[in-house]
Amino acid sequence: MSRREGSLEDPQTDSSISSLPHLEAKIHQTHSLARLLTKYAEQLLQEYVQHQGDPFGLPGFSPPRLPVAGLSAPAPGHAGLPAPERLRLDAAALAALPPLLDVVRRRQAELNPRAPRLLRRLEDAARQARALGAAVEAVLAALGAETRGPRPEPAAAAAAAAAAAGVFLAKVLGLRVCGLYRDWVSRTEADLGQLVPGCPA
Amino acid sequence: MPAGRPGPAAQSARRPPPPLPLLLLCVLGAPRAGSGADTAVISPQDPTLLIGSSLQATCSVHGDPPGATAEGLYWTLNGRRLPRELSRVLNASTLALALANLNGSRQQSGDNLVCHARDGSILAGSCLYVGLPPEKPFNISCWSKNMKDLTCRWTPGAQGETFLHTNYSLKYKLRWYGQDNTCEEYHTVGPHSCHIPKDLALFTPYEIWVEATNRLGSARSDVLTLDILDVVTTDPPPDVHVSRVGGLEDQLSVRWVSPPALKDFLFQAKYQIRYRVEDSVDWKVVDDVSNQTSCRLAGLKPGTVYFVQVRCNPFGIYGSKKAGIWSEWSHPTAASTPRSERPGPGGGACEPRGGEPSSGPVRRELKQFLGWLKKHAYCSNLSFRLYDQWRAWMQKSHKTRNQHRTSGSCPRADAARREVTGPRSCQISCRSWGHPPCLMETWGLHPDWGSPLYPHLRAPKHPQQQLGWVPWFRGPRQLWPPCEATLGCTLVMVG
Repeated sequence: MSRREGSLEDPQTDSSISSLPHLEAKIHQTHSLARLLTKYAEQLLQEYVQHQGDPFGLPGFSPPRLPVAGLSAPAPGHAGLPAPERLRLDAAALAALPPLLDVVRRRQAELNPRAPRLLRRLEDAARQARALGAAVEAVLAALGAETRGPRPEPAAAAAAAAAAAGVFLAKVLGLRVCGLYRDWVSRTEADLGQLVPGCPA
Repeated sequence: MPAGRPGPAAQSARRPPPPLPLLLLCVLGAPRAGSGADTAVISPQDPTLLIGSSLQATCSVHGDPPGATAEGLYWTLNGRRLPRELSRVLNASTLALALANLNGSRQQSGDNLVCHARDGSILAGSCLYVGLPPEKPFNISCWSKNMKDLTCRWTPGAQGETFLHTNYSLKYKLRWYGQDNTCEEYHTVGPHSCHIPKDLALFTPYEIWVEATNRLGSARSDVLTLDILDVVTTDPPPDVHVSRVGGLEDQLSVRWVSPPALKDFLFQAKYQIRYRVEDSVDWKVVDDVSNQTSCRLAGLKPGTVYFVQVRCNPFGIYGSKKAGIWSEWSHPTAASTPRSERPGPGGGACEPRGGEPSSGPVRRELKQFLGWLKKHAYCSNLSFRLYDQWRAWMQKSHKTRNQHRTSGSCPRADAARREVTGPRSCQISCRSWGHPPCLMETWGLHPDWGSPLYPHLRAPKHPQQQLGWVPWFRGPRQLWPPCEATLGCTLVMVG
């Protein structure tokens, strides 16, 4: 039996898989959650750029796409992967995001202490990423697919490089993290949407 | 490498940027493998400057492959490209910038100074903090609600605008001993306030002050010394009732209860009452109420609705000699004085002519006339000429109760109904087919007030629309007229 894209059938499933209706309900709920969080992630991004000042938020603003340790954007070929593999990547990214969002929140608490809504959204985003990641892992477990083992912590960098990081760099990195959060939540919504019966692929 | 030169009166306070956690690190200066992109660094990084000072900055490019030069680079500040004449090429890889007379920072996270490559891509950035050091906070005032806590508020110096994030910290300590404590619950009653919820001692003075700090310096207020017992306030007096004093037309009685939270403490309370006429914004204050819980307001206008509020000042708590702090005013309570039955002042001649029968209808009509007279005439010498004028006006405007009539080319009012809504109040409403320019007008004569008050108009929205039931009166229920008033509906042309 071939592994079909978007299908719930998995040749490796055994009798321990949850019943189909239960699985469908779980996927549907997780998809709804991802859809909601995609909207919140867009709002977070807008709130973030507003408080950093121009040129952040200006049309055409194109900061350097700095790599973030331990997390990258969804790869161009992500959509072509089998469903369980896509969900595993989604879960891994969602698990990597909360500590990054916490770092951004702490930095923004220094830079924008009078922006309580921004700080609250960053705090909420970390919790939401954890919740969505756990829900995706539950879907994977229900599918009978293995989730990845404990993920290694992002690698540390030189202390000198850390000390040299300035405020502008911190603003850019925060924007990058918020953008990655939006990208992965949106990606998760799309991946789950392909599993929801009747949902357009 | 040139650094920012602040104004003569200040120094540029460069706080070292807090280190980013090591788990999140990618340095803008480190070339990305295989990217081939130029990178650069701006100096100074994140300077703090006084308003009006100057800044000299540089953007130094590290090219890979070699060939990236300072030619073609340009600067932007908060997204706006800076004029070329402010820049100059120092050497092959360094572009300098000179800014003078800096304005205060546009956002508290710092102004974004960015170095761009020829194609517009961002090479490096630095955030400028331009502002003023804080001035001394002043005007600290504190109060304790029911002796359980302490809330303080203050005024920031320099009208509060430093263009930099300024942190205000309320500090307090027992005067004769103890360590400095810092208030933790801020913004409780406004942006510059703090609330200390517990662990406060009585019968001993506290010293209270405010410290203001930002990137350019700090300032401290004068110290306020107080005993909690001297700044006690309380909730407003509850259960305020306002009522008439029998038939006295110029008086109202006000009663209230003393605040229960302080009932266990020995204190005397003094009260203040304020009142105003319904349609006025001017309050009159009664000051000398001492510690009674009732008061009679006199010299009021008859037939008038008044709003009344009461507040309390607890003083003499545990023998304190100082006045406390006035509470908030209680919620407004309304009442109306009885309408006057007597003729107006100085109008001793306002008597019906001798010989007039005192039968019912005439008496009622005269009562109405006297009411109208008080409103529209000086009651000096009554004359039948004046009375005839009134009769003529009556015939011109309104007639007997529940009468439908047309006016001009407007149709008749179709029906009228009277609805008893209370022991002494009534609503009448009318229904008709109407069309523009005709409007439904409700009218009537209150037996006490005389001339019609609060007439109500309603216009149909389109021709032949049925107007529906139009209430006679839309004022407060306690002011609705009694059912024996003469009421009616008419379709009239207006304008």
